Amino acid sequence: MVIEIEKLCKSFKDVKAVDDLSFSVREGELFAFLGVNGAGKSTTINIISGILKRDGGIVKVCGEDIDEHPEKIKGKVGVVFQNSVLDKRLSALDNLKSRAAMYGIYGSEFNERLSELDRLLDLKEILVRPLIKLSGGQKRRIDIARALINSPQLLILDEPTTGLDPKTRQTVWAVIEKYRKERGLTVLLTTHYMEESAVADYVLIIDGGKKAAEGTPHDLKNKYAIDFIRFYDKLDEAERLFGSMAYKLNRERDFLEVEIKGTDEIAKLICKNPQIFSDFEVLKGNMDKVFLKITGKNIMEV
Amino acid sequence: MNELIKLGALVKRNIKCYFKDKFLFFVSLITPMILLVLFVTFLRSVYMDSFNGIFKSCGFELSEPRVLEGLAGSWLLSSILAVSSVTVAVCSNAVMVSDKMENTINDFLITPVKGTTLSVSYFIANYIATLIVVLSVFVVGLVYLAIVGWCLTFIDIMKIFADILCSVLFGTLLSGIIESFISSQGGLSAISTLVSSMYGFICGAYMPLSQFASGMRTFICCLPGTYSVGIMRNHFMTSYVDKLTELGLPQVGREGLLDGFDANLHFGGDFNGLNFSGGVQIPVWAMYVILLGACLVLFAAYIAIVIIKNKKRK
Repeated sequence: MVIEIEKLCKSFKDVKAVDDLSFSVREGELFAFLGVNGAGKSTTINIISGILKRDGGIVKVCGEDIDEHPEKIKGKVGVVFQNSVLDKRLSALDNLKSRAAMYGIYGSEFNERLSELDRLLDLKEILVRPLIKLSGGQKRRIDIARALINSPQLLILDEPTTGLDPKTRQTVWAVIEKYRKERGLTVLLTTHYMEESAVADYVLIIDGGKKAAEGTPHDLKNKYAIDFIRFYDKLDEAERLFGSMAYKLNRERDFLEVEIKGTDEIAKLICKNPQIFSDFEVLKGNMDKVFLKITGKNIMEV
Repeated sequence: MNELIKLGALVKRNIKCYFKDKFLFFVSLITPMILLVLFVTFLRSVYMDSFNGIFKSCGFELSEPRVLEGLAGSWLLSSILAVSSVTVAVCSNAVMVSDKMENTINDFLITPVKGTTLSVSYFIANYIATLIVVLSVFVVGLVYLAIVGWCLTFIDIMKIFADILCSVLFGTLLSGIIESFISSQGGLSAISTLVSSMYGFICGAYMPLSQFASGMRTFICCLPGTYSVGIMRNHFMTSYVDKLTELGLPQVGREGLLDGFDANLHFGGDFNGLNFSGGVQIPVWAMYVILLGACLVLFAAYIAIVIIKNKKRK
């Protein structure tokens, strides 16, 4: 296990930010950590990365207790913060140099590491420019380079694509995936984008500092999300048929949505009523629905 | 060894952050610039008149006006250097505050660098950055004195250099302590404004202490920053006053210049326009002892704050 957390607690005055939270992250896993703002995600991440101290519980990272070997653990962890925390007026190169030195990486070792990151992230053209003059996507590439400067075993991504345009989001994920595949990197991700959590190996949903649900995206969708059949033809016939069987319907101008409990049931319905299944699609329940079902909150609205 | 390399990298980074922030750099030069403008437009003629008044009262007629220009310039320069040692340090230390405000500190807290190394790096970087600015002002000031009237010796320059080292140390420690409690832009602006506007008055840099009422003078003499001004005044002005003595300035006039313009500091007593009656004259070595003693106390307080803050980190 790369992360083992047992009964983690952290309060800020009277507010319990993290309350008796336990979970573990396996090596090489992409682990998504979901929750609305204030659910306790960042607090947990800040405890794991050594920024905050905890009130109680056990936290082990890369097999080491964070109290016993904090420096050793910090050398194995990289963090991409929600908002860039690099020095805006310094060049990307100066930023990377100063951060690399904190891990004892300098001189020829730094140059080697930099060329490796340049191959991965295509940094050459932006290295000498001050951060303040870079675009959002370019800044994010530097943030990722900074997080990977110490060749971490665990990469923590705190909402890494929030505020980025779709193309840059794709680029960020392509880089992270490439690095994961090459190095077997473990990634702990918090995100507001449910499509990003859907590709995770494992998902943990927290609400009010407590664990609300966990599992693979597939398991969670099967357990909590509802599938739909969407009809684009023979809407009146379909509405009559499913209405008579007390299914939950949603009629829009050019389609009809029917809530179905599972894919087995869809197969049975098609076999029994083939005449109305001329133009339709089956929509699997997504992570947004899972999150809404578990927490009663829409992650994008809170 | 590894921790020293980290310290070096952090110091370099902090200094670069300060000098790359043009606005911050400009703000930190406001106090010396205000003093310079005040001098050119107003103070120069006021002090020249005061010097001439002392000469007149002791029947001395100056044959070399360049010495008088140089004396006024050296008084101004001692004020600028002493005040800048604190005001520039307050602005330069803004790097530490902005690291807290913008959460940049978190990017260092996640690394294996020790909290004490981080705190010490801010102190050293602030000292070096302030020293660079103050020494640059010093060099510009020396060029000015060379143009208007030069009387300083190599020993004077070395002594002033030592004064700058001590004064910047005092300013760096003072700003380090004050700003370790600030974590907002509003707090930083308030402190910068307060220090820039007040410090010059409460250390006797804008006006000679002899012009203050006795009680106020005693209060100002209880503040260690006053001795930073005192040692600089002494080392800047003594050679000029010596030159005037060579040109025939009587002893009473010499004392009047040194006492009236703070090259000699007096604790208590009354100034009658030419010299002090009563009170105790504070020798230069005692000024150093007070200033360095204050630095020692501030250093102990700074270390205590660093330790407590590292322990208290939430």
